[in-house]
Amino acid sequence: MPGMRGAEFDELTFFRAIHESGVRALLIGRRALVLLGLPVLTADYDFWIAIDQIAIFNAAAAQCGLQPTLDPETARRRGRYVVENDEHVDVLVARSVTTVEGVQVAFEDVWVQRQTVTLAPGIEVQLPAVDDLILTKRFADRPKDLEDIRLLRMLKSQGQK
Amino acid sequence: MTADPPDPGSFHDRVLGPAEARAYLDAPISEAEREEVLALVHWFRRRYPTPAERLAYVRRAYARWRRTLGIGATFR
Repeated sequence: MPGMRGAEFDELTFFRAIHESGVRALLIGRRALVLLGLPVLTADYDFWIAIDQIAIFNAAAAQCGLQPTLDPETARRRGRYVVENDEHVDVLVARSVTTVEGVQVAFEDVWVQRQTVTLAPGIEVQLPAVDDLILTKRFADRPKDLEDIRLLRMLKSQGQK
Repeated sequence: MTADPPDPGSFHDRVLGPAEARAYLDAPISEAEREEVLALVHWFRRRYPTPAERLAYVRRAYARWRRTLGIGATFR
């Protein structure tokens, strides 16, 4: 509902809207780690979406009162934008992103290898496979990204795909 | 519980150089570190067995952390 404030933000409603929209959106960032069972704190949400589906994603986000900071064409050109109100959602919108070590990571490849987590009946969230999640953490190489990579490696050593 | 840093310009949010990043990633994971992290994972998964419960816990934990420190409003 337009104008919804962050204090009223319902996380399940948000994920349901994304799921029901059919948008190809991968949850990345620390909330993906949380879904996998790693107790890390984060303030925002991070998604990587198909480059031609900005409008679909924005329409889903608008159901929770989240508004885009850029028009779709500008967002596509810049490769990232934000939808926000009292909540903040970073959206990566690129066919591929290169890690700091020069590895090109393509959305289509990550999408094919994705894993699905069921939040509630009828609400599924798409996550990259752990190896791909690790690659997304190398897009910036901040210390907290590298800490997360270590955590993901430990999780992977326990058999997490 | 690992927390994000208090502001975007902090130690944890800076971008590392390739050599520094590689050194960090190549550092071996000790058995003690592995055990500590996996114990935390086991607790988290046991206490919050569903993905929805885990997300809800983190929202509560973040709100609590922000109230306690009073400086969380600016970081991501």
